[in-house]
Amino acid sequence: MWFSRLLNVFRANRLSRDIEREIAFHLSEREDDLAAGGMPRAQARLEARRRFGNVGAQGERTRDADLFGWLDAVVGDVRYALRSLRWSKGFTVVAIASLALGIGANTAIFSLINAVMLRDLPVKDPQELVLLKYTGGDNGVFTNPLWEQVRDGTGDVFSGVLAYGDTRFNLAEAGEERRVNGLYVSGSYFPVLGVRAFLGRTLLPADDVPGCAPVAVVSHAFWQSRLGADPSVVGASLRLGGHQFQVVGVADPAFPGLETGKTSSVFVPLCSSAILMGKENFLDKRSWWMFTILARPKPELTMDAVNARLATTSNAFFANTPPTGWPADALKDYLGRTLDVGPSLASLSELRLSYARALLVLMVIVALVLLIACANVANLMLARSAARQRELAVRVALGAGRGRLIRQLFTEGLLLSLAGAALGVGFAWWGSRVLVGLLSTSRDQVQLNLSLDLPVLGFTVAVAVATALLFGLAPAWRAARVDPQIAMKAQGRGVVEGHAKFGVGKALVMLQVAMSLVLIAAAGLLLGSFRSLANADPGFRPEGVLVASADLKLPPGREAQGIAMQRQLVERLRALPGVTGASSAFTTPISRMGWNDEVSVEGVSFPKREDREIWLNRVWDGYFATLATPIIAGRDFSDRDVPGSPPVAIINETASRRFFPGKSALGQTFRLPIGDSLSAPYEVIGVVRDVKYRTMRDAPQALGYFAMRQDTAFGSGVVFAVHTDAEPTTLTRAVSQAILDVSPSASLSFTTMTQLVDESMRRDRLLATLSAFFGGLALLLAMIGLYGTMSYAVARRRNEIGIRIALGAAQSRVLRSVLGEVSRVVLVGVALGTAGALAATPLVATFLYGRTPRDPVTLAGAALVLATVALVAGYLPARRASRMDPMQTLREE
Amino acid sequence: MKRTRNDILQGTLDLLVLKCLAAQGRMHGYAITFHIHTISAEQLRVEEGSLYPALHRMEQEGWVKAEWGTTEKKRQARFYAITAAGRRQLEQEEESWARLRDGVQRVLRYA
Repeated sequence: MWFSRLLNVFRANRLSRDIEREIAFHLSEREDDLAAGGMPRAQARLEARRRFGNVGAQGERTRDADLFGWLDAVVGDVRYALRSLRWSKGFTVVAIASLALGIGANTAIFSLINAVMLRDLPVKDPQELVLLKYTGGDNGVFTNPLWEQVRDGTGDVFSGVLAYGDTRFNLAEAGEERRVNGLYVSGSYFPVLGVRAFLGRTLLPADDVPGCAPVAVVSHAFWQSRLGADPSVVGASLRLGGHQFQVVGVADPAFPGLETGKTSSVFVPLCSSAILMGKENFLDKRSWWMFTILARPKPELTMDAVNARLATTSNAFFANTPPTGWPADALKDYLGRTLDVGPSLASLSELRLSYARALLVLMVIVALVLLIACANVANLMLARSAARQRELAVRVALGAGRGRLIRQLFTEGLLLSLAGAALGVGFAWWGSRVLVGLLSTSRDQVQLNLSLDLPVLGFTVAVAVATALLFGLAPAWRAARVDPQIAMKAQGRGVVEGHAKFGVGKALVMLQVAMSLVLIAAAGLLLGSFRSLANADPGFRPEGVLVASADLKLPPGREAQGIAMQRQLVERLRALPGVTGASSAFTTPISRMGWNDEVSVEGVSFPKREDREIWLNRVWDGYFATLATPIIAGRDFSDRDVPGSPPVAIINETASRRFFPGKSALGQTFRLPIGDSLSAPYEVIGVVRDVKYRTMRDAPQALGYFAMRQDTAFGSGVVFAVHTDAEPTTLTRAVSQAILDVSPSASLSFTTMTQLVDESMRRDRLLATLSAFFGGLALLLAMIGLYGTMSYAVARRRNEIGIRIALGAAQSRVLRSVLGEVSRVVLVGVALGTAGALAATPLVATFLYGRTPRDPVTLAGAALVLATVALVAGYLPARRASRMDPMQTLREE
Repeated sequence: MKRTRNDILQGTLDLLVLKCLAAQGRMHGYAITFHIHTISAEQLRVEEGSLYPALHRMEQEGWVKAEWGTTEKKRQARFYAITAAGRRQLEQEEESWARLRDGVQRVLRYA
């Protein structure tokens, strides 16, 4: 049965002949009978035909009954559609191109969303894994002592639990650093995730014990790119931060790490902190927050049951590990905490968090662009179907069913949108890689799996089909109402064409104008916001500043030499040719590194804890001059500020206002907590301008700087900032040489202040660029739509306009009449769009800096741009109309 | 020509065709038209245009099967015969026709 129907599809020709034969037989039998009844032959033949009715239509209906209607129709329709699309190449190219852009943009953004948010974690039963959090803390970051408590105390609720913390390992012996992303992992990490080894073995609980041996597992990608895919790598040694580690295995290639977009190359057990960090390891640090904990709850327990048990048992974990040196209120907070589990791992990746919303906004933007493209194609098809009215009427008259006509038009639409989709996938493949490139920074390479998997392709096909339905609807609906009589009769063009027919076309253009306005307004906001961010005064001058982060690798016990070494280094750097300023610091601004504390000021009480917060840095003298941060009052540090002299500090304006309201801060003092008591008072010797500390978006914060020269507990990490009037990277070699001359075993990494600033704004730049691009695209598409519709409307009114001109209407009057029509369409569109923008732009509020989401200036600007461009697009057809030669137009009649 | 109102009621065509084929065996399309017209004492006329779509549809449903053959006049014709599934369908259609007829009669009698 089934098979015969399928066969029929491919035998359509034979089948039609069969039906023709069958009908012919019927007709000749009838003819014979009528003739036998005495009717003349010729009349009998006519009568037989008349009785049978429309042979073509009946034949078609009969055939439809035979076939899997649509299947056969599809083959025929596709053939017909291809032919008719080939006839109108211009139309086809414009339609496919706009669809390719629209669908491609959607696919590109969706493939990012898919990679960042929808793909499952590459581990066993990822849906079972939960992220551990605690009450009273908004994040789930743990210390190692807490982790040990959790590991040993949750056997009743979890079948497995694991911890990991990010780090970066330096692979180089000395000189410029070669850093890779690494992870400190608990021994349970690989077994609980169910990740197997590709070579050798994974890390096991036995590797993670106090005093453990230095062993490491490397990722498959690292093994391939850095270890030459050496099959005998198991047992080989790997240098991490200057220590020899033994490679025990290579992880499964399918496992790039837990966090989307971030790959970890080297895994070492937690206990190896003792080897890598020496005395300063995190194993017993109760305030060193660096671990994420994941758990698999026992399958028989519900989430509520798990949380209920944790609520009673887990408080002890905190009670057993009170941090030292915390203010009483913070400590009380800590001791009151209990664990709970989050519902899913959705929040695990930093990339997910910081880009999820941006991607959703982009998705909305590209969806609007696609809608605008759809409206364009719908308009083109409408115009075309009006032009094809007679062709369609002929087909109806010849017996084609109306359903068949509609199917025909949809087939054309589907072909267009599938062709658009095919091109769009190529565009998306390229576009999504460009996007990922824009997301990456020199330090963090974002790596995403962007392969075109089932969800992405399914999405594209669904979008293509939905698109075809969307833009095919109006033309098909109109085609269905074709009345062959009227359409055939309308041989020439009527004197005055009704305008009503173009109601749909104009409505579509209004919608396009409205949607473009929303997009342009959003683009305007994001661009404006990016501009104010880029132009925001960071409080320092990033240009010309080279930043060298160094680990001086001072031998244990000789850290005090660090200060002497720094003095020597700063002096050498200052002496380098081309260098106009050099200094050292704990950290530079916008490096996303930070250190903060809570101040105590005698005689001042702070109602809220945040008010006491101060972000800190430790700097060598000349630091402010190097970064061109003005010292507003007091003095810079100097060689008088030494370990023995009274501790001094420089604060910024915000700190000065907040901690010493209503008076000069100079000479005032503040203290920081040390353990359970307070530090010696720091005397404020200078006040500097406000500086952005961690990111360019920082609101003004209280900042404090201590004298590097007074640091008695210098570790061995330090950042050198060097200013030059030349391009700063040209100094890299000289600076590197100077530092290694003084400290031969130091390891270094370089960046520039400009680069740090740029990278901290990459998301803003990305959004602004893309929204401007798509806004422009939307504007272009809408203008093509407007131009096309108005040209078409003018063409339809040729006779009317010709007669008007012949009767003496002035050109300007015709021009006004057409432009009036354009303005009405544009004005309604702009009004709708303004309402839409007011409703939609709060969606981007979180990305804005220095702009409100309903910024009236931006909105008005967007409306003005749109109206101007629209009038230009409408002016061209209007001018053509007004210059019409009435003689020529009317003679055509 | 005067328009006759005895065209076959929509939906009953299947019933009539199946019944003819069940009673008469193999028939071609024209014979079916002719047979229905004659046997109904010229009361019923099959709208010829609807017959072939109906026959082909019933063929796809599996109620009739068709093959090419030769008539007495040595013309090529497509002959239809009822299948087992067609007989079951016929029973159902006869039942529902009976119900419809009863219903209509009641309305005509008592309304």
